[in-house]
Amino acid sequence: MKTNLKISNVTKIYPGCVANDNVSLEFNSGRIYALLGENGAGKSTLVKILSGVIIPDQGEIYLNKNNLKLNSPLDAKKNDIGMVFQHFNLFETLSVFENLIIDSDGQREGLRGKIDTIMKKYNFSIDLDIPVLNLSAGQKQKVEIIRCLIRNPKVLIMDEPTSVLTEQETIELFQSLKKFSEEGILIIYITHKLKEVMQLCDEVAVMRRGKLVSVSEIKNENIESLANKMVGQNLKTIKKKKAKTSSDQLIKITNLNFTSEDPFETNLTDINFSVNRGECLGIAGISGNGQSELFQVLSGEIISEKNSIEFNNNYIGDLSPQERREYLMAFSPEDRLEQAAIPQMKIFENVALNNFKSSNFFNNGLINENKIKEHSKKIISDFNVNTDNIELKSQFLSGGNLQKLIIGRELITSPDLLICFNPTWGLDVGAINYIHETLIKINEQNKSIILISTDTDELLKLSDKISVIHKGKLSKIMNSEEVTSEKLGILMGGAD
Amino acid sequence: MIIDINFIGLIIASIMASAVPLILASCGELITERSGVLNLGVEGMMIIGAISGFALMTVTGSLIIAIFGAMLAGVLISTIFAFLTQTLITNHVATGLALTIFGIGISAMIGKNFVGIPGKEFPVLFESLKETIPLLGPILFGHSIVFYFAFALPFITSYFLKKTKIGLIVRAVGDSPESASNQGINVRLVRYACILYGGAMSGLAGAYLSMIYTPQWIENMTGGRGWIALALVVFSTWNPIKILIGAMIFGGLTIIQFHMQAIGVRIPVQFLTALPYIVTIIVLVVISRDSRKIRLSTPSSLGKSFHKDN
Repeated sequence: MKTNLKISNVTKIYPGCVANDNVSLEFNSGRIYALLGENGAGKSTLVKILSGVIIPDQGEIYLNKNNLKLNSPLDAKKNDIGMVFQHFNLFETLSVFENLIIDSDGQREGLRGKIDTIMKKYNFSIDLDIPVLNLSAGQKQKVEIIRCLIRNPKVLIMDEPTSVLTEQETIELFQSLKKFSEEGILIIYITHKLKEVMQLCDEVAVMRRGKLVSVSEIKNENIESLANKMVGQNLKTIKKKKAKTSSDQLIKITNLNFTSEDPFETNLTDINFSVNRGECLGIAGISGNGQSELFQVLSGEIISEKNSIEFNNNYIGDLSPQERREYLMAFSPEDRLEQAAIPQMKIFENVALNNFKSSNFFNNGLINENKIKEHSKKIISDFNVNTDNIELKSQFLSGGNLQKLIIGRELITSPDLLICFNPTWGLDVGAINYIHETLIKINEQNKSIILISTDTDELLKLSDKISVIHKGKLSKIMNSEEVTSEKLGILMGGAD
Repeated sequence: MIIDINFIGLIIASIMASAVPLILASCGELITERSGVLNLGVEGMMIIGAISGFALMTVTGSLIIAIFGAMLAGVLISTIFAFLTQTLITNHVATGLALTIFGIGISAMIGKNFVGIPGKEFPVLFESLKETIPLLGPILFGHSIVFYFAFALPFITSYFLKKTKIGLIVRAVGDSPESASNQGINVRLVRYACILYGGAMSGLAGAYLSMIYTPQWIENMTGGRGWIALALVVFSTWNPIKILIGAMIFGGLTIIQFHMQAIGVRIPVQFLTALPYIVTIIVLVVISRDSRKIRLSTPSSLGKSFHKDN
């Protein structure tokens, strides 16, 4: 049976922002649709309306000509609309099976049979009786998909499903989605990754600032045309000039080990690498393979043996982040609002947190507010942070602006080494471009970068050398010209 | 000194009796906390239950009305907590503390007229069987219905959480209210229900104190048992069976230290009185140190307000 889903004149207004401005779209089963847009373009709002999580201010939704009133996620489920959220909607401490049956009414054992059939059909293999927190991101996503499939959905919505997947897992996901589509499930695929749209979808709708910009067939588009539609202007592509290889070693890590007492952290084993001046070392890997532990060890949040880290001919393994900053290291952690900045504090107060010795931010224990504010204004103008109000609480900055502020705060002391962890995670194309340009500029100034990232494209673009972290171990260090994303994908999966 | 075997049975029975209010209140609070709500008002709800039960018994003369009235009183006062924390999204800790202070105050006020009035005898079951089996007879028989209910409750609670759909929903809400809400579960409703259930059990625990354990009204008669119940929940790592163990250790040491004081053991009284509190917590910490299990049974959203916005 054919499924037809129609969105008609949907509008959702939040204070200060129109998330969806009169959006109308039509979908038919048998095809895979892409909904493309930058962060904040309104695509997530639109699919949350389709899944009943958000109620629109205006507009109608029709499934096979029936007008749907979706007032809760339950209504969407009853009408056979399934959704896999970007941030998994799973219960970490419950078992896989418990997660799967929580919203179904059937008998437990009957459901187990049904789940087994689904898993066999699509070649999924997951232990149903272990807690979800022991699963990899790819497996968690499969659990979410199975949860939708149990209900025999007519429509399956995937919200940025590949942000946590490896190359291999992405390929598997695409195969499954194509299979679902052939079986008559209408697939709506939300993303800001252009490559995926070209690979997977038949038709693409582009959104920008809450408005629908275009609907077109994939065969009439290419990556550049979609990018321009998405951003609304012509993007210049940046490319890194290959630096002359310097042999001046800046940081050297020798036999670094870290054993965690928390069973949910990853232990680091025998980490060895070195970075020369003017070089960018990329560290790839699937999240949860020791990246955050490695970042913490390098930044001094976790203290290690004194001799394991040699920086600028000093042994600094046992120093705190503050002391390491004095040696001209700088850090940009992964979680902008939890680790890098304090959301409830004002911009200039957050700047003052990076209180290096020569800053004179504090005199005899008193805050030198004028000095800090002056300094903050310089960061804001030098690093293109889109606000002129340094009294603004940093939680109100967009992700991109906050990241620029953090990178700016770190770089204004002109450090020799910047260690950053997923610096463009969740940012829109414009901000990503800016951050990438900035990082390239640092290398050109003969300063070094350690870039820990889960984004393979980013690593290939920015790194001179690349290594892959898997289960707390680093692969051998490769020159980035010799590496392809396929090869990285294999290493990230744990193969040698 | 010749110790009669039935005397040992009686001591064990008295230990079990002193554990009853802890088990009831803890198992109630456990359900509340498993749904992600931290209600520090257990002491207050217990003492409200104690005075309500005693007052209703004195006024109406009906034990059934008194018991259910005490539970209802617990429900009512926990409704205040539920309304504040779930509807008005106030802070759980502050609201819970306020509830305890409120409960102690209002119970003292109502209780003024009931001081010194003797309680009624509460019927016990299987009295005649007490003498039939040595040692086990006094342990198993001749107790009130509330006593039997209390010792069944940890097992019922465990079964409810592990095996029933509603139990699964409660755990899911406590793990991630956001996910639960996106799954179409009414988080507020579930949490309301769990808070009210916790109130009912605390009310029953209070009524047990004032109507069965020591049948009279004394101001502040819960004497910190609500706080111990709270500690039991946390240190048992939200496991009902371990609550039972903890409550028995606490009850046992309380009774034994009374006897030690009576015999005249040369240990400072203050130390003896403090002993049950310390030992119970140490034992529970030791038997629950598996950090993996702690992670799996701790409600991740405990004490955090959940606000759904459209």
